[in-house]
Amino acid sequence: MIQIKGLTKQYGLTTVLRGVNLHVREGEFVTLVGSNGAGKSTLLRIVATLLKPSGGEVTIGGWPLPSHAHNVRRHIGLVSHHALLYGDMTAAENLMFFARLYGIDNREEVVSTALKRVGLTARRRDAVRTFSRGMVQRLTIARATLHEPDVLLLDEPFTGLDQDASALLNRLLLREHEIGRTILLITHDLIRGISLSDRVAILNRGKIVHTVTRDDISATEFVTLYQQVVHGDHVAELPG
Amino acid sequence: MNRSGLFWTQLRALVWKDLQIERHTKQSIGIMLMFAIVAVVTFNFALENNLGAVREVAGGLLWVTILLAGTLGLNRSFASELENRPIDAMLIAPMDRSTMFMGKVISVSLFTLAMELILIPVFIAISNKPFYRPEVLLLITLGTIGYVAAGVLVSSMAVQTRANYVLVPVLLLPLSLPVVLAAATGVAQYMGLNKPPFADVSATFALVIAYDLLMLAAGLFTYNYVVEE
Repeated sequence: MIQIKGLTKQYGLTTVLRGVNLHVREGEFVTLVGSNGAGKSTLLRIVATLLKPSGGEVTIGGWPLPSHAHNVRRHIGLVSHHALLYGDMTAAENLMFFARLYGIDNREEVVSTALKRVGLTARRRDAVRTFSRGMVQRLTIARATLHEPDVLLLDEPFTGLDQDASALLNRLLLREHEIGRTILLITHDLIRGISLSDRVAILNRGKIVHTVTRDDISATEFVTLYQQVVHGDHVAELPG
Repeated sequence: MNRSGLFWTQLRALVWKDLQIERHTKQSIGIMLMFAIVAVVTFNFALENNLGAVREVAGGLLWVTILLAGTLGLNRSFASELENRPIDAMLIAPMDRSTMFMGKVISVSLFTLAMELILIPVFIAISNKPFYRPEVLLLITLGTIGYVAAGVLVSSMAVQTRANYVLVPVLLLPLSLPVVLAAATGVAQYMGLNKPPFADVSATFALVIAYDLLMLAAGLFTYNYVVEE
């Protein structure tokens, strides 16, 4: 579903991505982990069509980027650590607005269903500004999945969430995975990354340096592996 | 939904969104109007209640007020796109960038025209000048559209920078000078007791319309590059 080959990205003289290769299969849940400045958010913004790559190939559902960004946009949903919502509008107004942008026909019904799915029906007429961080992230998931995208992209969605809100977001993401969406998640949380996803890729200094599948490694082993890979230690004896 | 149908649905949605935000916050029109009234009162006092002087420069004063109040309206309108970054969610929607440009021009023009609707009677009251003439109202409307179109372009570029609130007036005021000068000259020509013949003001109208078309075309064709990376 997502095919990335030799992707590079430069900002002036600074190279952020140095030949990233990644293949995410249809319906797969892949998490990308890495330290600050590794290039995770840049990679996700390129896949989300918000940035143009400097070199390499990115295709989503067979459409190359950035030339076919318009076709790709209908098939992707983005959740970020920013809410990407209007704080001064109500929950229902926000969803109604984005439903119109995507040309959804039965908007009232779709918006009501989306609010019900994330447990915000009772707050539909309240301004997003009055919501807790957890409620905002639930509404963000509703917004990102309103048009039933094939691919869901998540950039640090757990930032600022307490334990209960994180657990709820976990359940929402797993439900999205169960219904067959392809998910690419970016997080600093290694344990959450390995426990939620089918596969985890470690991005370090603009390159994917290691990929492991959840079945091949325990969470503890993965944390050790990550430390060794990112800090440059020997990793040959570890699985993956 | 076909491409044309989607364009109109999206354009309506963008304008509806800005109207909803204004309905909830009442900030764009409120801030512009507050500034405009303060400016008018200040001008009046600065001219020491000299009715003759106010009458002479009323057209220019009106445009200075619109220009500065309009800048505040533009800043406020773009501030809502930056808080929580909803602009990113719009940029990944299957929508032409030109639709985003048109939506912003329409909504900010509506807010500015709403402010002018209250401002113009105030100017009539203090200067006793015929701002109510249809030609004057047309010039003000056309001038406002051109100014807002330039403003949306500049603001969209400026929001990508850290100094956005400083950059907007610095870039916009010189850029909008042709339309403001033309519209202010045109308005001044209609301030006399008798209407001037259209032949005398046709060049002014032509200039204002040409500026509007130029700014709208620039926005429609370049907005893709303005808002992306």
